[in-house]
Parts: sequence; C-alpha cells; structure tokens
Amino acid sequence: MEAFKLMRELKTNFEQESIYLPREKGLDLLETTLENDKQISARCRDAKVEDLWSLTSFFGYSTQTFVQAVNLLDRFLAMMKIQPKHLSCIAISCLHIAAKLVEEECNISSSHDLIRISQCKFTISDLNRMEKIISEKLNFQCKAITAFTFLQLYHEMTILHTSERKTSLSLDKLEAQLKACLCRIVFSKAKPSVLALSLLAQEIEAIQSVDMLEISQCIQRHLKIADGELFYWRELVAKCMTDYSSPECSKPDNKKLVWILSRRTAQNLHSSYYSVPELPTIPEGGWDESGSEDSCEDMSCGEDSLSSGEDSLSSDTEAACAPPHFHQRISAPHSQGDSARLGAQCHF
Amino acid sequence: MSIIRPVTLNYHMHPGVCRAAATCHLCSKISEGWVAQGYVLSSHYTSISGQSGRIFPEVCQEGQAEEGRRVPRSFRSQGKPIELTPLPLLKDVPAQEQPELFLKKLQQCCTVFDFMDTLSDLKMKEYKRSTLNELVDYVTVSRGYLTEQAYPEVVKMVSYNIFRTLPPSDSNEFDPEEDEPTLEASWPHLQLVYEFFIRFLESQEFQPSIAKKYIDQKFVLQLLELFDSEDPRERDYLKTVLHRIYGKFLGLRAFIRKQINNIFLRFVYETEHFNGVAELLEILGSIINGFALPLKAEHKQFLVKVLIPLHTVRSLSLFHAQLAYCIVQFLEKDPALTEPVIRGLLKFWPKTCSQKEVMFLGELEEILDVIEPTQFVKIQEPLFKQISRCVSSPHFQVAERALYYWNNEYIMSLIEENSSVILPIMFASLYRISKEHWNPAIVALVYNVLKAFMEMNSTLFDELTATYKSDRQREKKKEKEREELWKKLEDLELKRGLRSDGIIPT
Repeated sequence: MEAFKLMRELKTNFEQESIYLPREKGLDLLETTLENDKQISARCRDAKVEDLWSLTSFFGYSTQTFVQAVNLLDRFLAMMKIQPKHLSCIAISCLHIAAKLVEEECNISSSHDLIRISQCKFTISDLNRMEKIISEKLNFQCKAITAFTFLQLYHEMTILHTSERKTSLSLDKLEAQLKACLCRIVFSKAKPSVLALSLLAQEIEAIQSVDMLEISQCIQRHLKIADGELFYWRELVAKCMTDYSSPECSKPDNKKLVWILSRRTAQNLHSSYYSVPELPTIPEGGWDESGSEDSCEDMSCGEDSLSSGEDSLSSDTEAACAPPHFHQRISAPHSQGDSARLGAQCHF
Repeated sequence: MSIIRPVTLNYHMHPGVCRAAATCHLCSKISEGWVAQGYVLSSHYTSISGQSGRIFPEVCQEGQAEEGRRVPRSFRSQGKPIELTPLPLLKDVPAQEQPELFLKKLQQCCTVFDFMDTLSDLKMKEYKRSTLNELVDYVTVSRGYLTEQAYPEVVKMVSYNIFRTLPPSDSNEFDPEEDEPTLEASWPHLQLVYEFFIRFLESQEFQPSIAKKYIDQKFVLQLLELFDSEDPRERDYLKTVLHRIYGKFLGLRAFIRKQINNIFLRFVYETEHFNGVAELLEILGSIINGFALPLKAEHKQFLVKVLIPLHTVRSLSLFHAQLAYCIVQFLEKDPALTEPVIRGLLKFWPKTCSQKEVMFLGELEEILDVIEPTQFVKIQEPLFKQISRCVSSPHFQVAERALYYWNNEYIMSLIEENSSVILPIMFASLYRISKEHWNPAIVALVYNVLKAFMEMNSTLFDELTATYKSDRQREKKKEKEREELWKKLEDLELKRGLRSDGIIPT
C-alpha cells in the first residue's frame, strides 16, 4: 500500500536525519561573529546562499540541488574555520557537488560556466580541489536527508489522504517557501523534519483545510515531535514568510555585479548625447516674434495695422497664449475674435 | 558686348546651330541665345564668373559692365584677367575717410575669382584675401564705422560671394559616412567672407532695424539652400550665421522655422538627401532650449510631425546625436510629451537595421534618464515589450545595449517601483536567452538582470519561474505527443506499403 510505504520511508528518514545536521555549536559561532576580514558572519553566509539560489535558478537546477548545496555548505562552515575570501569558492563547490548528485548528466553546467556566471575570481583547478576537500571533510556523506526530503514525503502523504482537491496544496509553493527559509542561517539549526512540518502546517493554515490539518497532526504524533518545538519553529517560519511576501522590494545591490560590455558598445555608450552643442540658447520671445511677413498671407489685411516698429505684433499663437499686455497694445476694434482666427493658422 | 552663360549642354546642342535658354538666378528671367562652344551667348547677361554661373542684378540691365568681371578661363575663353586697383590700408587713412574706404573695399570684394583654375589671377586672389582679412579685423575692433550705407554693401558683398549653385554630388553613391566630402575650392576667400559676416552680425554697432531691409526672407532662403554644401567647414559657419540671424531678427523667426520644417519634410519624405541636417538640428536645439512655457501648439506639431519621422531616415547616424538632444530638450520642457514621443519611437522602431536599433536604444535610455515616474507608468508596457524583443535579439550589440539598461540606477528605481508589471513582460525572454543565446557575454549579462529581478521581488519571480517551468513542460509534452503521432503515422504508412506490395497494382 502506498500509504504504508510512505510511512516506512518517513520513519527511516526520521531516524537518520540527525547525521546530516550541521554542528549546532558551529552555527552558533557563525551567528555571533561580527563581520570582519578574518571570519565569516551569519550575514555573509546568508548573502552567499542567496547567490546560490540565483545560480540554481539561472542554471535551471531543481530545488533539491539547492537544498543539498546549502546543507553541504552549512555542515562545512559549522566544522571549519573559514576565511571570508574562500567563501565563494566553497559555496560554488557545494553547488557543483550537489548538482552532480542530483541532476542528470546532460543538465549539469560545466565548472567553467559556473565560475564565469558567478563572476568569481578563482580557477577551475581551485574548484576541483575544494570539492575534494569538502567531500573528504564530510566523510563523503554528501547526499543528505534534508527538509526537502521530508517536505516531499509530507506533501505526498497529505495529498493521498485528503478528500480535497489535489491542487490546493502546492508543492511548488512549499518549495519556494523552503528556499526563502534556507536563506537565513537560523533555520539550519532546525531538525529537517520539524522545519518541513512547520512549513506544511503554515500552508495548511493558510488554506484552512480541516482535513489536511488532521493529517499534519497525525504526522506530528507519529514522529513524536513536541508541541513546543513545533510552535517555536512555526513562529520563526511565519515571520520569515511575512518578510518574503512583503510588497516592499529590497533594493538590488548592483554594485556587486560586474557589467562587462564589448568594446564597441562601451565606446558608443554616452558618446551621442553628451556632445553638448556650443550654440547658446535663444530664448523665445513669446508673442513678439511669431508673426512675420510670411504669416500675413494667411491673415486678412486688417492685421497690418497691428504691426508697429520693428516687431510685428501679428500673432500666430492661440488666443490663450497671448499675454495680457498684448491686448493692451491692440486698439479696441481688434478683439479676441481676430486672435482666434489667427490661431487657426497652421504651418503643416 | 559678348555675353556668356555657362550651361550644361547635351549632345543635341550644336554650336552656331542650336539655341538654348538659361535662367538668371536672381531675376529669374529666361533668355535665349545661340549655343557656342559650351555656353550660351545671350544678351541678357553681361558676364559671369566662376564655374557655376553667378549672375548679378546689375548685370541684368543690358549692356552694362562693371569693373573686374571676367569670363572664366576654364571654358577656354579669351577672358581678360581681372584687375583691381589696390586701395590703401584702412589703418593708414584718417578716421573720417575710413567709412568711405570701407565701402570701396567691400565693393572690390564683390569680385569673385575662379578657384578651379589654380593658376589664374594669383596676385589678385591674394589681394582680395588680404583685403578680406583686413575687413575682418576692422569689423572686430572698430567703432563708428557702421554707417547706414554700409549695410547694403555688406549684404551685397556677402551675397555675391556665398550664394551660388552648389555643384552636384560627385556620384550617386556618395556615402556621407564613408566617403570624403568634396571640399569647396574657393575656401580661402569664402572662409573670410563668413568670418566677416559673423563678426558684422555680432558687432556691438549692429542694428537689426536697419539690417532687416537687406537681410530678408529671400536672403534667408538662399542661406538655407547652402546648408546642402558638402564642405563641413562651410556648414559650420552657416550654422553660426543662421543662429545669429535667428537670434537678432525676431521678424524672421517664424519664417526660418517654417523653412527648416520644409527642408526636413522634403528630406524625410522625398529626397533623403540633405547634407546640413545635423547643423540645422543643432540650431534647433538652441531654439528648443529657449522655448517659453507653456509650449505652443506649433512646436508640439513640429516634434510629432517632423522630428519623430526624422528617425526613419537611413542616414540617421549622421545627425542622431543632435536629434536625440532636441528630443530630450523637448521632454525636459514639457514632460507630458513623453508618451507621444516614446510611442512614436516604438512605431518607427528599426526592424532590419541593427545599427539603428542600437542608436534608438541609446536615445531611449537618454529619454528614460529624464522621464517622470507618472509618465513612465503610462508607457511601461509597450516599452518593455520592445525591450524584451531587443534583449532576445540575435545581434549581440543590440542585446547588450538593451541589457545594460539594468546598470542605470534611475531606470532600476523605476523598474523596482513597477516590478509587478515589468517582470512578467521581461521574464520569458530573459529566461529563454539564458539558455539559448549564442553569445556567452550576453548570457553573463542576463544573469545580472535576473539576479536584480530576483532580489527586487522574490515572490513574483518564483511564481513566474514555476509558471514558466510548467509551461515548458507542457510544451515538451505536446512536442513528444506530436512526434509520437507522426511516428505512428509513419509506421502505419509502412505497414500499408508492405501490404500493398503484395497486391497487383490496378
């Protein structure tokens, strides 16, 4: 029976998950470290994980790859003292190892592409060496049991047992939420089974399905997860979700990214507009310069009397544009009506 | 008095047998005459000078001759060399005699020499050159020299020297971008005439009220025609001259604007040939800069009916910088024009010329640099649909230029505010080219853009990724089904074929 198989799988994973937990003391150390040149801080790690997510998304890797990579990274960081300058190399190596574990051969991007896209400074041989080091340090137990494993199981079980529509509980959405959580180091301290259950419970609460709620409670009882523990993590997850779906956009940090352009494009970039013309501005005179002998041909000869001195007052502007003192200079018979007729003149 | 007018003769014209007609440039009278060796003998003209045939008003009166006219040697005539009696230097005569001497020198400079014939009249050419030089200095430093009589003489001298029929372009295939322009041979004199005229216009004593009798619409019209000169130095001077005239003669401004309109419209819709577009646009730039607010309807019409269509011309690269400047100036004056301008550009977006596309993208970025957020919201959808197409262009320069928009801080802030609208438009093409584009540099830039979007609006980005992936999977499934269907049909056909082989064909 399907359900039975799932239950058994769940039990096995649950028993083994502690093997793949990063050392708590190591994580604590990371969280308390202040940012400096010698040591990595929690913020460093979080930023790096976000980069990993960008790369995962860009290369089309699955969420499983990402989760595995983060797990590797956390385990490694928790046991070793790392200099910040090596962090990029370590992170990319983790991603590459994870990709090789999870993805199909044909979908794995080459080391060269990885380095090029992530705009890192190290070489392919550096990458290969680092991968070896990481694998060794982790005793080659690379493929971990992560929150994602549990999430998939929970999801399957819920769908199996619920009478509601299958599509109401979306695995994609849960995956996205898990990804958002993993970008914060605090969640690496959670047991994967508990984290996954928190996410599930959170989502079920949002959907408000009584059915699924029962199932999740069933799972909790089965795995003997304490209420207090679940509650604690659910709160943190809730807070993370609010941040994640907030309409406020975080300003992208463009400074970190390098924009490499071809020579020709770079040359042409601002060459056009900034050739400021040397001719000084000629201010428009307003009503006094619009008329000319030429515009007389469109107007009746009655307008000739408007001209005086060197500035012809005949105007081709709309009546609305004529400033007040213009009207003062016109003798009474020339009313607004004339100006309106003038306004109809069109040069096109 | 024998009178000669050069005319381009075709093989029909037999000397002494055929008659031909020629038109006087200034009075437009047509007169007929016998054809001689390459010219027309007619009683209308007293003489001509220069290869292109300048006719002078006085000369129209029959039988009148003036000192110093000659027939060009290049037509193999037996013309007499020009003799000008040397006049004393202006600085050498007492102050009260200077104005009269000034006029005499101006009249002497009305004599035009033939520079195509490099050996003729060298001494006199030099004399005229030094006289012109002297006049330039005189106009710059002197006081009280500008009497009312001087104005018509100055204008006459300038007209005689500069107004001429421009020689036709050497070949039809003259490419303004590639080939060297044909320079004006008489530049040694011409330059000084322009220099003199500019300083005359800029002089403190210059009075537009007197000058406007002589610098009239006809003058301006001829001036504008000269902008078609191939010599860029001449166009540069003309630009300054017209700029000063526009500034000082308020009564001529509307006329000048109208004539420039006509020139541009002819350029865009009829000939696509005019060498002076860039210079005229520069002048217009300084005019637009000075527009009073609110903008008159005439000016808005000009923007929409003339400036935007100018973008469609093939030789856009020659004047694009100046055109973009004009457009941006308009938008800084009246931001409400942004929507028609951008829609106009999108309408005329180049479809086959990538070089033009890169120029359009550059101009668009300059417009976006000054755009108001409210205006941005109005055009963001059609705009980013076009940018999305540019970004996926197989021409790497176009794609690169479009992607570089994301390095512009102001544009980024606008995109950020409206990411919920813009991201869905851009997403599909960005994601697709990250996988499919041939150029690795472009792929790297796309990563930057995608990362920026990811950080801007994670939720939306994830949603779009999920939708995109499921769409792709659906498509793949359809593809597979289609292929299987074809395979089935093929198998069916094979089976049928095997069966029918056993049957005797009917």
